[in-house]
Amino acid sequence: MLSFKNVNVSYHSDTILKNISLDVPSGRITTIIGPNGCGKTTLISSLNKTADLTEGSIVLEGTDLSKISSKERAKLIAFLPQIRQVIPAIPVKVLVEHGRFPHLGFSRRKTKEDTDIVNKAMDFTGVTKYSDMYVNTLSGGVRQRVFFAMILAQDCDTIILDEPTTYLDIEGQRNFYNMILSLKKRGKTVLLVLHDISKALEISDKIVVMNNSEIVFDGTPADCIESHIIEDVFSASCRRLKDEKGEYFLFE
Amino acid sequence: MTKKKKISIFILLAVILVIMMFLSILSGSVYIKPHDVFNVLTGNDSSSVNALLIFNIRLPRMIAGVFAGMGLACAGVILQSVMNNSLASPNTIGVNSGAGFAVMLALFIYNGSSSHSAVFAFAGALITTFLVFGIAYLGDNSRTTIILAGITISSLLSAGINTIKLIDSDITINITTFMIGTLNGITSKAIIIPCIGIAAAVLVSICFSRHLNILNLGDDIARSLGLNVGVTRLILMTLSSIMAGCVVSYAGLLSFVGLIVPHIGRKLFGNDARILLPCSALLGAIFVISCDLLGKIIAAPYELPAGIIMSFVGGPFFLYLLLKKKGGRRVNA
Repeated sequence: MLSFKNVNVSYHSDTILKNISLDVPSGRITTIIGPNGCGKTTLISSLNKTADLTEGSIVLEGTDLSKISSKERAKLIAFLPQIRQVIPAIPVKVLVEHGRFPHLGFSRRKTKEDTDIVNKAMDFTGVTKYSDMYVNTLSGGVRQRVFFAMILAQDCDTIILDEPTTYLDIEGQRNFYNMILSLKKRGKTVLLVLHDISKALEISDKIVVMNNSEIVFDGTPADCIESHIIEDVFSASCRRLKDEKGEYFLFE
Repeated sequence: MTKKKKISIFILLAVILVIMMFLSILSGSVYIKPHDVFNVLTGNDSSSVNALLIFNIRLPRMIAGVFAGMGLACAGVILQSVMNNSLASPNTIGVNSGAGFAVMLALFIYNGSSSHSAVFAFAGALITTFLVFGIAYLGDNSRTTIILAGITISSLLSAGINTIKLIDSDITINITTFMIGTLNGITSKAIIIPCIGIAAAVLVSICFSRHLNILNLGDDIARSLGLNVGVTRLILMTLSSIMAGCVVSYAGLLSFVGLIVPHIGRKLFGNDARILLPCSALLGAIFVISCDLLGKIIAAPYELPAGIIMSFVGGPFFLYLLLKKKGGRRVNA
Protein backbone atom coordinates (compact mmCIF):
# COMPACT_ATOMS: atom_id res chain seq x y z
CA MET A 1 0.00 0.00 0.00
CA LEU A 2 1.21 3.47 -0.91
CA SER A 3 -0.03 6.05 1.59
CA PHE A 4 0.07 9.83 1.47
CA LYS A 5 -0.27 11.06 5.05
CA ASN A 6 -1.33 14.68 5.66
CA VAL A 7 0.75 15.86 2.73
CA ASN A 8 1.12 19.61 2.26
CA VAL A 9 3.09 21.32 -0.48
CA SER A 10 3.59 25.07 -0.63
CA TYR A 11 5.67 27.20 -2.94
CA HIS A 12 6.46 30.63 -1.48
CA SER A 13 3.03 31.68 -0.16
CA ASP A 14 1.00 29.52 -2.57
CA THR A 15 -0.54 26.33 -1.24
CA ILE A 16 -0.39 23.67 -3.94
CA LEU A 17 -1.48 20.67 -1.87
CA LYS A 18 -3.64 21.00 1.23
CA ASN A 19 -3.55 18.21 3.81
CA ILE A 20 -3.75 15.29 1.38
CA SER A 21 -4.29 11.83 2.84
CA LEU A 22 -4.70 9.00 0.39
CA ASP A 23 -4.20 5.24 0.31
CA VAL A 24 -3.29 3.65 -3.00
CA PRO A 25 -4.09 -0.08 -2.71
CA SER A 26 -1.53 -2.62 -3.89
CA GLY A 27 -2.20 -4.53 -7.09
CA ARG A 28 -4.94 -2.11 -8.16
CA ILE A 29 -5.34 0.78 -10.57
CA THR A 30 -5.96 4.11 -8.88
CA THR A 31 -6.64 7.16 -10.99
CA ILE A 32 -6.50 10.81 -9.99
CA ILE A 33 -8.74 13.17 -11.93
CA GLY A 34 -9.41 16.85 -11.53
CA PRO A 35 -9.38 20.19 -13.35
CA ASN A 36 -6.13 21.77 -14.57
CA GLY A 37 -4.07 23.27 -11.78
CA CYS A 38 -5.79 21.35 -8.97
CA GLY A 39 -2.52 19.73 -7.83
CA LYS A 40 -2.66 16.26 -9.44
CA THR A 41 0.78 16.42 -11.00
CA THR A 42 2.27 18.01 -7.87
CA LEU A 43 0.87 15.18 -5.78
CA ILE A 44 2.49 12.46 -7.83
CA SER A 45 5.62 14.55 -8.41
CA SER A 46 6.17 14.42 -4.66
CA LEU A 47 6.91 10.73 -5.17
CA ASN A 48 10.13 11.45 -7.03
CA LYS A 49 10.96 14.60 -5.08
CA THR A 50 10.31 16.93 -8.00
CA ALA A 51 7.91 18.55 -5.53
CA ASP A 52 9.14 18.71 -1.92
CA LEU A 53 6.69 18.15 0.91
CA THR A 54 6.17 21.07 3.27
CA GLU A 55 4.47 18.75 5.76
CA GLY A 56 3.40 15.11 5.97
CA SER A 57 4.91 11.90 4.71
CA ILE A 58 4.59 9.28 2.00
CA VAL A 59 4.86 5.66 3.07
CA LEU A 60 5.21 2.67 0.76
CA GLU A 61 4.73 -0.77 2.35
CA GLY A 62 5.89 0.63 5.71
CA THR A 63 8.88 2.53 4.28
CA ASP A 64 8.90 6.31 4.65
CA LEU A 65 10.09 7.51 1.25
CA SER A 66 11.79 10.58 2.73
CA LYS A 67 14.07 8.28 4.75
CA ILE A 68 15.55 6.42 1.79
CA SER A 69 17.95 7.49 -0.95
CA SER A 70 16.83 8.48 -4.45
CA LYS A 71 18.26 5.25 -5.76
CA GLU A 72 16.44 3.07 -3.25
CA ARG A 73 13.23 4.94 -4.03
CA ALA A 74 13.73 4.29 -7.76
CA LYS A 75 13.89 0.56 -7.01
CA LEU A 76 10.44 0.77 -5.43
CA ILE A 77 8.60 3.30 -7.59
CA ALA A 78 8.77 3.80 -11.35
CA PHE A 79 7.55 7.20 -12.46
CA LEU A 80 6.81 8.43 -15.96
CA PRO A 81 6.41 12.23 -16.08
CA GLN A 82 3.98 13.80 -18.51
CA ILE A 83 6.36 16.19 -20.24
CA ARG A 84 9.59 15.15 -21.93
CA GLN A 85 12.13 17.88 -21.30
CA VAL A 86 14.50 16.13 -23.69
CA ILE A 87 14.02 13.76 -26.59
CA PRO A 88 17.33 11.95 -26.51
CA ALA A 89 19.19 11.10 -29.68
CA ILE A 90 20.12 7.62 -28.49
CA PRO A 91 19.08 4.14 -29.63
CA VAL A 92 15.85 2.75 -28.17
CA LYS A 93 17.60 -0.13 -26.43
CA VAL A 94 20.08 2.20 -24.75
CA LEU A 95 17.23 4.33 -23.38
CA VAL A 96 15.37 1.28 -22.07
CA GLU A 97 18.60 0.04 -20.47
CA HIS A 98 18.77 3.32 -18.52
CA GLY A 99 15.83 1.91 -16.58
CA ARG A 100 18.28 -0.42 -14.87
CA PHE A 101 20.28 2.55 -13.54
CA PRO A 102 19.07 2.29 -9.92
CA HIS A 103 19.95 -1.40 -9.80
CA LEU A 104 23.51 -1.13 -11.09
CA GLY A 105 26.60 -0.70 -8.94
CA PHE A 106 29.19 2.05 -9.47
CA SER A 107 30.81 0.11 -12.33
CA ARG A 108 27.35 0.09 -13.95
CA ARG A 109 28.03 -3.34 -15.42
CA LYS A 110 24.84 -5.12 -16.50
CA THR A 111 24.16 -8.71 -15.53
CA LYS A 112 22.23 -11.27 -17.56
CA GLU A 113 19.25 -10.58 -15.30
CA ASP A 114 19.39 -6.88 -16.21
CA THR A 115 19.47 -7.75 -19.92
CA ASP A 116 16.52 -10.14 -19.51
CA ILE A 117 14.44 -7.51 -17.70
CA VAL A 118 15.22 -4.94 -20.42
CA ASN A 119 14.26 -7.40 -23.18
CA LYS A 120 11.01 -8.31 -21.40
CA ALA A 121 10.10 -4.63 -20.96
CA MET A 122 10.72 -4.03 -24.66
CA ASP A 123 8.67 -7.06 -25.65
CA PHE A 124 5.82 -6.07 -23.34
CA THR A 125 5.58 -2.59 -24.83
CA GLY A 126 6.17 -3.81 -28.39
CA VAL A 127 9.28 -1.75 -29.08
CA THR A 128 11.77 -4.57 -29.67
CA LYS A 129 11.64 -4.01 -33.43
CA TYR A 130 12.76 -0.40 -32.91
CA SER A 131 15.70 -1.51 -30.76
CA ASP A 132 18.44 0.09 -32.86
CA MET A 133 16.47 3.13 -34.00
CA TYR A 134 17.11 6.51 -32.44
CA VAL A 135 14.43 7.72 -30.03
CA ASN A 136 14.27 11.20 -31.58
CA THR A 137 13.37 9.71 -34.97
CA LEU A 138 10.29 7.83 -33.70
CA SER A 139 6.64 8.92 -33.75
CA GLY A 140 5.11 10.28 -30.53
CA GLY A 141 3.20 7.06 -29.86
CA VAL A 142 6.17 4.73 -30.23
CA ARG A 143 8.35 7.15 -28.28
CA GLN A 144 5.89 7.06 -25.39
CA ARG A 145 6.01 3.26 -25.40
CA VAL A 146 9.82 3.40 -25.36
CA PHE A 147 9.81 5.62 -22.28
CA PHE A 148 7.21 3.30 -20.74
CA ALA A 149 9.54 0.35 -21.43
CA MET A 150 12.34 2.27 -19.72
CA ILE A 151 10.40 2.70 -16.48
CA LEU A 152 9.17 -0.92 -16.65
CA ALA A 153 12.84 -1.94 -16.81
CA GLN A 154 13.12 -0.46 -13.31
CA ASP A 155 11.17 -3.57 -12.34
CA CYS A 156 9.19 -1.82 -9.59
CA ASP A 157 5.94 -3.02 -8.08
CA THR A 158 4.52 0.50 -8.03
CA ILE A 159 4.14 2.39 -11.29
CA ILE A 160 3.14 6.05 -11.52
CA LEU A 161 2.02 7.49 -14.86
CA ASP A 162 1.22 11.16 -15.39
CA GLU A 163 -1.12 11.63 -18.37
CA PRO A 164 0.44 8.73 -20.30
CA THR A 165 -1.97 8.96 -23.24
CA THR A 166 -2.07 12.72 -23.78
CA TYR A 167 -0.27 12.76 -27.12
CA LEU A 168 -1.48 9.41 -28.43
CA ASP A 169 -4.00 8.67 -31.16
CA ILE A 170 -6.98 6.37 -30.46
CA GLU A 171 -5.12 3.19 -31.29
CA GLY A 172 -2.12 4.28 -29.24
CA GLN A 173 -4.40 5.07 -26.30
CA ARG A 174 -6.15 1.70 -26.55
CA ASN A 175 -2.80 -0.13 -26.59
CA PHE A 176 -1.59 1.86 -23.62
CA TYR A 177 -4.68 1.16 -21.53
CA ASN A 178 -4.41 -2.54 -22.39
CA MET A 179 -0.82 -2.52 -21.15
CA ILE A 180 -1.91 -0.86 -17.91
CA LEU A 181 -4.62 -3.49 -17.38
CA SER A 182 -2.07 -6.18 -18.13
CA LEU A 183 0.26 -4.75 -15.47
CA LYS A 184 -2.57 -4.95 -12.94
CA LYS A 185 -3.01 -8.62 -13.79
CA ARG A 186 0.67 -9.09 -12.98
CA GLY A 187 0.04 -7.67 -9.52
CA LYS A 188 1.52 -4.22 -10.11
CA THR A 189 0.16 -1.16 -8.31
CA VAL A 190 -0.66 1.56 -10.84
CA LEU A 191 -1.31 5.19 -9.95
CA LEU A 192 -2.49 7.27 -12.89
CA VAL A 193 -3.28 10.88 -13.57
CA LEU A 194 -5.80 11.12 -16.41
CA HIS A 195 -7.87 13.77 -18.11
CA ASP A 196 -10.02 11.17 -19.87
CA ILE A 197 -12.67 10.79 -17.15
CA SER A 198 -14.67 8.12 -18.99
CA LYS A 199 -11.58 5.96 -19.39
CA ALA A 200 -10.58 6.56 -15.79
CA LEU A 201 -13.97 5.28 -14.61
CA GLU A 202 -13.72 2.30 -16.95
CA ILE A 203 -10.27 0.95 -16.05
CA SER A 204 -9.76 2.05 -12.43
CA ASP A 205 -10.44 0.23 -9.20
CA LYS A 206 -10.30 3.49 -7.31
CA ILE A 207 -10.98 7.07 -8.33
CA VAL A 208 -9.55 10.13 -6.59
CA VAL A 209 -11.06 13.49 -7.50
CA MET A 210 -9.03 16.60 -6.70
CA ASN A 211 -10.14 20.21 -6.74
CA ASN A 212 -8.48 23.37 -5.42
CA SER A 213 -5.45 21.54 -3.94
CA GLU A 214 -7.61 19.07 -2.02
CA ILE A 215 -9.05 15.60 -2.42
CA VAL A 216 -12.81 15.94 -2.72
CA PHE A 217 -13.61 12.30 -3.48
CA ASP A 218 -11.87 8.99 -2.88
CA GLY A 219 -13.70 5.76 -3.68
CA THR A 220 -14.82 3.29 -6.32
CA PRO A 221 -15.84 4.43 -9.82
CA ALA A 222 -19.48 3.42 -9.09
CA ASP A 223 -19.57 5.55 -5.93
CA CYS A 224 -17.94 8.39 -7.83
CA ILE A 225 -20.71 8.35 -10.43
CA GLU A 226 -23.41 8.15 -7.78
CA SER A 227 -21.94 11.08 -5.85
CA HIS A 228 -22.14 13.39 -8.92
CA ILE A 229 -18.88 14.94 -7.76
CA ILE A 230 -17.47 14.95 -11.30
CA GLU A 231 -20.37 17.07 -12.54
CA ASP A 232 -19.79 19.52 -9.68
CA VAL A 233 -16.03 19.77 -10.03
CA PHE A 234 -15.92 20.00 -13.81
CA SER A 235 -19.25 21.83 -14.24
CA ALA A 236 -20.19 19.07 -16.67
CA SER A 237 -23.19 16.90 -17.30
CA CYS A 238 -22.96 13.11 -17.44
CA ARG A 239 -24.71 10.80 -19.90
CA ARG A 240 -24.76 7.04 -19.44
CA LEU A 241 -24.45 4.86 -22.54
CA LYS A 242 -24.94 1.13 -22.58
CA ASP A 243 -24.13 -1.57 -25.11
CA GLU A 244 -23.47 -5.30 -25.00
CA LYS A 245 -19.94 -4.69 -23.68
CA GLY A 246 -20.97 -2.60 -20.71
CA GLU A 247 -21.79 0.87 -19.47
CA TYR A 248 -19.97 4.04 -20.52
CA PHE A 249 -20.07 7.61 -19.31
CA LEU A 250 -19.93 10.64 -21.48
CA PHE A 251 -19.17 13.98 -19.87
CA GLU A 252 -20.10 17.17 -21.70
CA MET B 1 27.42 3.87 -36.89
CA THR B 2 28.46 0.36 -35.92
CA LYS B 3 30.60 -0.39 -32.88
CA LYS B 4 33.37 -1.72 -35.13
CA LYS B 5 33.42 1.50 -37.14
CA LYS B 6 33.55 3.56 -33.95
CA ILE B 7 36.53 1.55 -32.71
CA SER B 8 38.26 2.01 -36.09
CA ILE B 9 37.73 5.78 -35.93
CA PHE B 10 38.99 5.86 -32.34
CA ILE B 11 42.18 4.01 -33.33
CA LEU B 12 42.63 6.28 -36.34
CA LEU B 13 42.28 9.36 -34.11
CA ALA B 14 44.80 7.93 -31.65
CA VAL B 15 47.28 7.42 -34.51
CA ILE B 16 46.63 10.97 -35.77
CA LEU B 17 47.24 12.31 -32.25
CA VAL B 18 50.59 10.51 -31.99
CA ILE B 19 51.63 11.89 -35.40
CA MET B 20 50.53 15.40 -34.44
CA MET B 21 52.40 15.14 -31.14
CA PHE B 22 55.56 14.20 -32.99
CA LEU B 23 55.08 17.00 -35.56
CA SER B 24 54.48 19.45 -32.72
CA ILE B 25 57.86 18.58 -31.22
CA LEU B 26 59.47 18.67 -34.63
CA SER B 27 58.23 22.12 -35.57
CA GLY B 28 59.61 25.41 -34.37
CA SER B 29 61.92 28.25 -35.32
CA VAL B 30 64.99 25.98 -35.09
CA TYR B 31 64.94 23.03 -37.45
CA ILE B 32 65.63 19.67 -35.80
CA LYS B 33 65.82 16.56 -37.93
CA PRO B 34 63.16 13.90 -37.17
CA HIS B 35 65.97 11.42 -36.50
CA ASP B 36 67.45 13.74 -33.84
CA VAL B 37 64.04 14.24 -32.24
CA PHE B 38 63.64 10.48 -32.08
CA ASN B 39 67.09 10.12 -30.48
CA VAL B 40 66.25 12.71 -27.82
CA LEU B 41 62.88 11.17 -27.05
CA THR B 42 64.31 7.64 -26.76
CA GLY B 43 67.03 8.84 -24.38
CA ASN B 44 69.97 8.36 -26.75
CA ASP B 45 70.74 12.08 -26.66
CA SER B 46 70.11 13.96 -23.45
CA SER B 47 72.74 16.66 -23.39
CA SER B 48 72.77 18.33 -26.79
CA VAL B 49 71.20 21.69 -27.63
CA ASN B 50 68.46 19.74 -29.36
CA ALA B 51 67.68 17.88 -26.13
CA LEU B 52 67.55 21.12 -24.15
CA LEU B 53 65.28 22.66 -26.75
CA ILE B 54 62.97 19.67 -26.82
CA PHE B 55 62.77 19.02 -23.07
CA ASN B 56 62.54 22.65 -21.99
CA ILE B 57 60.39 24.15 -24.70
CA ARG B 58 58.79 21.85 -27.24
CA LEU B 59 57.81 18.88 -25.09
CA PRO B 60 56.13 21.00 -22.38
CA ARG B 61 54.34 22.93 -25.12
CA MET B 62 53.12 19.75 -26.77
CA ILE B 63 51.99 18.24 -23.46
CA ALA B 64 50.30 21.51 -22.54
CA GLY B 65 48.42 21.42 -25.85
CA VAL B 66 47.30 17.82 -25.41
CA PHE B 67 45.99 18.44 -21.89
CA ALA B 68 44.40 21.77 -22.85
CA GLY B 69 42.49 20.04 -25.63
CA MET B 70 41.45 17.14 -23.42
CA GLY B 71 40.34 19.41 -20.60
CA LEU B 72 38.40 21.94 -22.62
CA ALA B 73 36.71 19.31 -24.80
CA CYS B 74 35.55 17.27 -21.80
CA ALA B 75 34.47 20.46 -20.00
CA GLY B 76 32.42 21.31 -23.09
CA VAL B 77 30.73 17.89 -23.17
CA ILE B 78 29.85 18.21 -19.48
CA LEU B 79 28.61 21.80 -19.62
CA GLN B 80 26.43 21.10 -22.65
CA SER B 81 24.81 18.21 -20.77
CA VAL B 82 24.53 19.87 -17.38
CA MET B 83 23.06 23.07 -18.84
CA ASN B 84 20.99 21.16 -21.37
CA ASN B 85 22.35 23.52 -23.98
CA SER B 86 24.29 22.50 -27.08
CA LEU B 87 25.79 26.00 -27.37
CA ALA B 88 27.34 25.92 -23.91
CA SER B 89 31.10 25.66 -23.58
CA PRO B 90 33.74 27.05 -21.20
CA ASN B 91 34.15 29.96 -23.59
CA THR B 92 30.55 30.81 -24.47
CA ILE B 93 29.26 30.79 -20.91
CA GLY B 94 32.17 32.83 -19.57
CA VAL B 95 33.93 30.12 -17.55
CA ASN B 96 37.22 30.80 -19.30
CA SER B 97 36.90 34.52 -18.57
CA GLY B 98 36.16 33.74 -14.93
CA ALA B 99 39.28 31.63 -14.71
CA GLY B 100 41.27 34.28 -16.58
CA PHE B 101 40.11 37.04 -14.26
CA ALA B 102 41.05 34.91 -11.25
CA VAL B 103 44.53 34.29 -12.70
CA MET B 104 45.04 38.04 -13.16
CA LEU B 105 43.75 38.59 -9.63
CA ALA B 106 46.29 36.08 -8.32
CA LEU B 107 49.08 37.87 -10.17
CA PHE B 108 47.86 41.22 -8.80
CA ILE B 109 47.67 39.95 -5.22
CA TYR B 110 51.05 38.20 -5.36
CA ASN B 111 52.82 41.10 -7.13
CA GLY B 112 53.20 39.86 -10.65
CA SER B 113 53.96 36.19 -10.27
CA SER B 114 52.04 33.45 -8.61
CA SER B 115 52.29 29.73 -8.12
CA HIS B 116 48.63 29.73 -7.09
CA SER B 117 47.31 30.45 -10.58
CA ALA B 118 45.75 27.01 -11.05
CA VAL B 119 43.85 27.20 -7.76
CA PHE B 120 42.64 30.74 -8.47
CA ALA B 121 41.67 29.74 -12.02
CA PHE B 122 39.64 26.80 -10.73
CA ALA B 123 37.87 28.99 -8.18
CA GLY B 124 37.18 31.65 -10.83
CA ALA B 125 35.82 29.08 -13.27
CA LEU B 126 33.60 27.49 -10.62
CA ILE B 127 32.19 30.79 -9.35
CA THR B 128 31.45 31.93 -12.91
CA THR B 129 29.75 28.63 -13.76
CA PHE B 130 27.45 28.93 -10.76
CA LEU B 131 26.85 32.61 -11.46
CA VAL B 132 25.74 31.96 -15.06
CA PHE B 133 23.73 28.95 -13.97
CA GLY B 134 22.07 31.00 -11.21
CA ILE B 135 21.24 33.91 -13.54
CA ALA B 136 19.74 31.52 -16.08
CA TYR B 137 17.76 29.81 -13.32
CA LEU B 138 16.36 33.15 -12.12
CA GLY B 139 15.42 33.92 -15.71
CA ASP B 140 13.63 31.52 -18.00
CA ASN B 141 16.53 29.03 -18.03
CA SER B 142 16.44 28.99 -21.83
CA ARG B 143 19.40 28.39 -24.10
CA THR B 144 19.40 32.06 -25.10
CA THR B 145 19.40 33.27 -21.49
CA ILE B 146 22.35 31.04 -20.61
CA ILE B 147 24.37 32.26 -23.59
CA LEU B 148 23.47 35.92 -23.02
CA ALA B 149 24.27 35.63 -19.32
CA GLY B 150 27.60 34.04 -20.29
CA ILE B 151 28.41 36.79 -22.79
CA THR B 152 27.54 39.50 -20.24
CA ILE B 153 29.57 37.94 -17.43
CA SER B 154 32.40 37.28 -19.88
CA SER B 155 32.47 40.94 -20.98
CA LEU B 156 32.51 42.15 -17.39
CA LEU B 157 35.34 39.80 -16.48
CA SER B 158 37.32 40.74 -19.61
CA ALA B 159 37.00 44.37 -18.54
CA GLY B 160 38.27 43.29 -15.12
CA ILE B 161 41.24 41.50 -16.66
CA ASN B 162 42.20 44.58 -18.68
CA THR B 163 41.74 46.86 -15.67
CA ILE B 164 44.07 44.77 -13.51
CA LYS B 165 46.67 44.72 -16.25
CA LEU B 166 46.45 48.51 -16.64
CA ILE B 167 46.77 49.32 -12.95
CA ASP B 168 49.52 46.81 -12.21
CA SER B 169 52.52 47.08 -14.50
CA ASP B 170 54.35 44.34 -12.57
CA ILE B 171 52.17 41.68 -14.19
CA THR B 172 54.38 40.07 -16.78
CA ILE B 173 51.68 38.28 -18.77
CA ASN B 174 51.20 39.49 -22.34
CA ILE B 175 47.57 40.50 -22.06
CA THR B 176 46.84 40.14 -25.78
CA THR B 177 48.08 36.57 -26.07
CA PHE B 178 46.52 35.68 -22.70
CA MET B 179 43.10 36.84 -23.90
CA ILE B 180 43.47 34.94 -27.17
CA GLY B 181 45.15 31.90 -25.69
CA THR B 182 48.56 30.55 -26.57
CA LEU B 183 50.89 27.66 -25.82
CA ASN B 184 54.00 29.72 -26.55
CA GLY B 185 56.54 30.06 -23.77
CA ILE B 186 55.03 27.39 -21.53
CA THR B 187 57.45 25.78 -19.08
CA SER B 188 57.22 22.31 -17.60
CA LYS B 189 57.04 23.84 -14.11
CA ALA B 190 53.93 25.80 -15.06
CA ILE B 191 52.01 22.80 -16.35
CA ILE B 192 52.69 20.02 -13.82
CA ILE B 193 49.91 20.83 -11.34
CA PRO B 194 47.32 21.91 -13.96
CA CYS B 195 47.96 18.79 -16.07
CA ILE B 196 47.55 16.54 -13.04
CA GLY B 197 44.33 18.40 -12.26
CA ILE B 198 43.05 17.99 -15.81
CA ALA B 199 43.97 14.28 -15.99
CA ALA B 200 42.28 13.58 -12.66
CA ALA B 201 39.15 15.54 -13.62
CA VAL B 202 38.90 13.79 -17.00
CA LEU B 203 39.23 10.37 -15.36
CA VAL B 204 36.63 11.15 -12.69
CA SER B 205 34.31 12.53 -15.40
CA ILE B 206 34.56 9.27 -17.32
CA CYS B 207 33.60 7.45 -14.11
CA PHE B 208 30.51 9.69 -13.99
CA SER B 209 29.62 9.17 -17.65
CA ARG B 210 26.57 7.00 -16.82
CA HIS B 211 25.32 9.72 -14.52
CA LEU B 212 25.85 12.21 -17.34
CA ASN B 213 23.80 9.99 -19.66
CA ILE B 214 20.96 9.88 -17.16
CA LEU B 215 21.13 13.65 -16.61
CA ASN B 216 20.82 14.05 -20.38
CA LEU B 217 17.31 12.59 -20.20
CA GLY B 218 16.02 15.67 -18.36
CA ASP B 219 15.71 16.34 -14.65
CA ASP B 220 12.32 14.66 -14.14
CA ILE B 221 13.29 11.39 -15.78
CA ALA B 222 16.71 11.48 -14.09
CA ARG B 223 15.05 11.84 -10.67
CA SER B 224 12.65 9.03 -11.48
CA LEU B 225 15.60 6.80 -12.28
CA GLY B 226 17.08 7.51 -8.86
CA LEU B 227 19.74 10.05 -9.79
CA ASN B 228 20.43 12.71 -7.21
CA VAL B 229 20.21 15.48 -9.80
CA GLY B 230 21.48 18.33 -7.62
CA VAL B 231 24.55 16.53 -6.31
CA THR B 232 25.41 15.05 -9.72
CA ARG B 233 25.14 18.45 -11.37
CA LEU B 234 27.33 20.00 -8.67
CA ILE B 235 30.00 17.31 -9.08
CA LEU B 236 30.03 17.60 -12.86
CA MET B 237 30.15 21.40 -12.82
CA THR B 238 33.04 21.27 -10.36
CA LEU B 239 34.88 18.83 -12.63
CA SER B 240 34.36 21.02 -15.69
CA SER B 241 35.57 24.03 -13.72
CA ILE B 242 38.72 22.18 -12.67
CA MET B 243 39.42 21.32 -16.31
CA ALA B 244 38.71 24.79 -17.74
CA GLY B 245 40.44 26.56 -14.85
CA CYS B 246 43.59 24.45 -15.11
CA VAL B 247 43.86 25.09 -18.86
CA VAL B 248 43.38 28.85 -18.50
CA SER B 249 46.04 28.99 -15.76
CA TYR B 250 48.78 28.20 -18.28
CA ALA B 251 47.30 28.71 -21.77
CA GLY B 252 45.04 31.73 -21.39
CA LEU B 253 41.54 31.96 -22.81
CA LEU B 254 41.66 29.33 -25.57
CA SER B 255 38.32 29.55 -27.27
CA PHE B 256 35.95 27.29 -29.16
CA VAL B 257 37.58 23.94 -28.28
CA GLY B 258 34.86 23.16 -25.77
CA LEU B 259 32.18 24.08 -28.29
CA ILE B 260 33.39 22.50 -31.52
CA VAL B 261 34.89 19.27 -30.28
CA PRO B 262 31.83 17.89 -28.42
CA HIS B 263 29.74 18.45 -31.57
CA ILE B 264 32.22 16.65 -33.79
CA GLY B 265 32.48 13.93 -31.15
CA ARG B 266 28.70 13.46 -31.13
CA LYS B 267 28.65 13.31 -34.91
CA LEU B 268 31.32 10.60 -34.93
CA PHE B 269 30.56 8.59 -31.81
CA GLY B 270 26.97 9.39 -30.77
CA ASN B 271 25.69 10.74 -27.46
CA ASP B 272 26.74 8.03 -25.04
CA ALA B 273 29.00 9.88 -22.60
CA ARG B 274 30.92 6.68 -21.83
CA ILE B 275 32.29 6.86 -25.38
CA LEU B 276 31.88 10.57 -26.04
CA LEU B 277 34.04 11.79 -23.14
CA PRO B 278 37.22 9.82 -23.94
CA CYS B 279 36.76 10.38 -27.66
CA SER B 280 36.23 14.11 -27.19
CA ALA B 281 39.37 14.21 -25.06
CA LEU B 282 41.25 12.65 -27.97
CA LEU B 283 39.69 14.99 -30.53
CA GLY B 284 40.32 18.02 -28.32
CA ALA B 285 44.00 17.14 -27.99
CA ILE B 286 44.31 16.77 -31.77
CA PHE B 287 42.47 20.04 -32.35
CA VAL B 288 44.59 22.12 -29.99
CA ILE B 289 47.99 20.85 -31.06
CA SER B 290 46.95 21.05 -34.72
CA CYS B 291 45.98 24.71 -34.26
CA ASP B 292 49.24 25.34 -32.41
CA LEU B 293 51.17 23.63 -35.18
CA LEU B 294 49.36 25.68 -37.83
CA GLY B 295 50.14 28.83 -35.87
CA LYS B 296 53.81 27.93 -35.95
CA ILE B 297 53.86 27.13 -39.66
CA ILE B 298 51.40 29.54 -41.26
CA ALA B 299 53.35 32.77 -40.71
CA ALA B 300 56.84 31.34 -40.15
CA PRO B 301 59.27 32.58 -38.94
CA TYR B 302 56.66 34.39 -36.82
CA GLU B 303 54.15 32.53 -34.69
CA LEU B 304 50.43 33.02 -34.47
CA PRO B 305 48.96 32.09 -31.08
CA ALA B 306 46.92 28.87 -31.20
CA GLY B 307 43.89 30.85 -30.00
CA ILE B 308 43.82 32.90 -33.22
CA ILE B 309 43.70 29.78 -35.38
CA MET B 310 40.97 28.36 -33.14
CA SER B 311 38.93 31.53 -33.51
CA PHE B 312 39.28 31.41 -37.30
CA VAL B 313 37.95 27.85 -37.27
CA GLY B 314 35.56 28.18 -34.35
CA GLY B 315 33.82 31.44 -35.27
CA PRO B 316 32.23 30.15 -38.47
CA PHE B 317 31.42 26.85 -36.74
CA PHE B 318 29.61 28.67 -33.94
CA LEU B 319 27.58 30.64 -36.49
CA TYR B 320 26.76 27.41 -38.28
CA LEU B 321 25.44 25.94 -35.01
CA LEU B 322 23.41 29.05 -34.24
CA LEU B 323 21.77 29.03 -37.66
CA LYS B 324 21.26 25.27 -37.69
CA LYS B 325 19.60 25.21 -34.31
CA LYS B 326 17.54 28.39 -34.55
CA GLY B 327 14.27 28.00 -32.75
CA GLY B 328 15.97 26.45 -29.75
CA ARG B 329 15.29 22.82 -30.50
CA ARG B 330 17.67 20.56 -28.69
CA VAL B 331 19.06 17.93 -31.00
CA ASN B 332 21.35 16.02 -28.77
CA ALA B 333 21.37 14.56 -25.32
